Amino acid sequence: MKRFLAVTLGILTAIGGFVDIGDLVANALVGSRFGLSLAWVVVVGVVGICLFAEMAGRVAAVSGRPVFDLVRERLGPRAGLLNLAASFGINLLTLAAEIGGAALALELATGIDYLLWVPAVGLVAWLVMWRVRFETMERVFGLAGLALVVFLVAFFALDPDYGELGRQLTHNPSDDGAATYWYYAVALLGAAMTPYEVFFFSSGGVEERWTRRDLGVMRANVFVGFPLGGLLSIAIAACAATVFLPQMIEVGTLGQMVLPAGLAFGQIGLALVIFGVFAATFGATLETALSSGYSISQYFGWQWGKYVRPREAARFHATLLVSTIVAVALILTTIDPIKVTEYSLVLSAAALPLTYLPVLMIANDPDYMGDRVNGRLSNTLGTLYMILLLLVAVAAIPLMLATKAGQ
Amino acid sequence: MTGRVLHAHLHLLDRQVVRADGRLLCKVDDLEIETGEVPYVTAILAGPLALGPRVGGVIGRLMTGTTRLFRPEEGPAPPRVPMSLVAEIGGAVTVGGDVPEASLERWVRDHLVDPLPGSGGGQAGAGAPRPVRRSEVPVRDRLSSLVGRRVVDRDGGPVGQVADVQLTQDGPLLGETTQALRLSGLVVAPRHTGQLFGYERGPGGNSPALVRVVIRRLHQGSRFVAWEQIGDAGDPIRLTEPRAALLPLEELFTRGDASASA
Amino acid sequence: MVALLMAAPLVAGCASPAWDDADYGSKAGATAEAAASSVALVRLAVENEARLTRPYLQTLLTETATELGGVDSQFGAVQPPSQAAVAVRAEITGLTSEAAERVRALLNEVRLREIRDPGKAAADLAALGDRLRAFAGEQPS
Repeated sequence: MKRFLAVTLGILTAIGGFVDIGDLVANALVGSRFGLSLAWVVVVGVVGICLFAEMAGRVAAVSGRPVFDLVRERLGPRAGLLNLAASFGINLLTLAAEIGGAALALELATGIDYLLWVPAVGLVAWLVMWRVRFETMERVFGLAGLALVVFLVAFFALDPDYGELGRQLTHNPSDDGAATYWYYAVALLGAAMTPYEVFFFSSGGVEERWTRRDLGVMRANVFVGFPLGGLLSIAIAACAATVFLPQMIEVGTLGQMVLPAGLAFGQIGLALVIFGVFAATFGATLETALSSGYSISQYFGWQWGKYVRPREAARFHATLLVSTIVAVALILTTIDPIKVTEYSLVLSAAALPLTYLPVLMIANDPDYMGDRVNGRLSNTLGTLYMILLLLVAVAAIPLMLATKAGQ
Repeated sequence: MTGRVLHAHLHLLDRQVVRADGRLLCKVDDLEIETGEVPYVTAILAGPLALGPRVGGVIGRLMTGTTRLFRPEEGPAPPRVPMSLVAEIGGAVTVGGDVPEASLERWVRDHLVDPLPGSGGGQAGAGAPRPVRRSEVPVRDRLSSLVGRRVVDRDGGPVGQVADVQLTQDGPLLGETTQALRLSGLVVAPRHTGQLFGYERGPGGNSPALVRVVIRRLHQGSRFVAWEQIGDAGDPIRLTEPRAALLPLEELFTRGDASASA
Repeated sequence: MVALLMAAPLVAGCASPAWDDADYGSKAGATAEAAASSVALVRLAVENEARLTRPYLQTLLTETATELGGVDSQFGAVQPPSQAAVAVRAEITGLTSEAAERVRALLNEVRLREIRDPGKAAADLAALGDRLRAFAGEQPS
């Protein structure tokens, strides 16, 4: 059990990346439109995030330096500031969306309008960040998010047409243009590799005081957490491909995307999936809020972290408080939480290469790493992914404009 | 005995400064240098007044401007951490001794965090007394002012721009045992190509080949200027030798691998 | 409220100015497709109504009703370019308002107690969905 609990950081991190509010709906939408023909993107994303999270985790364990320290150190103050602005923007927009998502889950459970839940969700999230120990937080929300496994079980219970789904792996069943297909490919890859995952993961490693001896634990986190996140994301798409695609239904809201679990297991399934959605979005709320605090503190060199008392990390906690208030205000303007995550894709495009390049460089720097520098495999794959991320960064905005964000 | 060789950009600037007990203090936002007969690094400078000029542009001016607005004294200087307190330079810079924390941290704690329930603090403002800001420190040059400066050779022909500053730990004694980091040379790149990323020099046997090739290509023709080869350290920096006499950077690190990685 | 926001992108996609008949027709077709998708979703939920919770059904139906109503009024506001287009508009707005009407009626039943005759409601929705799809098929894409 203790062994299992040790990997909750990886699980919580992956949930925030793969099945947060934007991705819950995006995965279902993709499944209902393109079947499983985009599943390969999730696999590519899982390999990429495992690769870079492992590097970032290794740097954090060996040298004690989290990712944004590396960004500032290798890119210098100017490019570092550009990355900070983009990352902070993504974090704030995503934070707003996640708060809205958790509130939407509560609306599905109670029937009470989500806007009434928004301030409560914001307040509870802040209280958790203010008072709850990091380990406790990561265990509770990492494990609760696992309720989404109900999608995987539901998929098998729905008695899918395996032959058809298998065919979709290589054939796009949709008659939409190629631009739309590639827009969603870029969006899914961007979601899988969002920078706040490595900010959170490496800072979490420092919060847990990882050392060289914890490299095994760190790797277990990476290689359990992220593939699990990817699996959930494919399961959601597969459910949608089974239930919605044959009926030509296009899913666009949270209420619609949880339906397959209800069809498979009735009220219990529905209750479980809504609980899972709430846990995942609330976990992502914590992840994005903390990441905003981590990134800004690490850029400016402030004391950060939950491993010290709040008063010893005053500027860090002030950032958390202000970010949460701004995010709540943003979502109370009745802006659509799911649309918001699409705009953060634009900011992601700039932040992706600017985040992963310094990680790749420092994972090779013996000053930091001693004998734990990258091996040949990490470097080869790392270089390939850098090229891929540059392509994504270039393609993201034109694709978004050309397809009107995937319509 | 030759001292440890560092590069200001690669090993010092923008690194985290950590107290001996592990608490985080600030970043190395800039370095203060004494430009006498033997130029050496005297202190780490921190805070927006040090960072702003390095960021430059509107945002940099905004950083320094806002900070000036909230500082009462005339011509405020950034907080400094004397180099004599530096205990170790690694992935982070560790400092000993009693270094006051940033005033913004103190202000935020007193006015925002402490009043909230459960902050783990006592009464507001009950902490240590406010440190007196020492303002008698003379205004010295900053290391970042050297970086980016144009370099011309003896005959006025262009050599390039300063990309990094080499420091050797054999300067005058600071405190009892530590020797100061002496400015021992310049890395001059032929054009403005941004950061060197350390791939220029390091032994780095297993770094990603492609990244290394790209960065090497960008910095092709970079040269090393020993401090003794500088005639006039103004702007532009004028050398005492022709361009051809300068050591290409590649040779520097094939020759000095052992000392660079020490 | 929620559903209105969620429908915003859909509406934005359908209500930009139309220049000619073909354009107008393809927009009407897209609108019909979207409405058919919503109707099919409601039908799925209604068929399995006994197995779903009431707050959930209520939220889902409210969302869909607002979405359908929004599409209807937005599309009606676009000036049709020709006499033929006027007929197209009459047909599509007729279909979408019927859909919105039906979903609203179901919503009321859920709010009061439960859906009285889920079988019949589902069959009606299926028929309406078929008409919407047939209409969409006639339009130039």
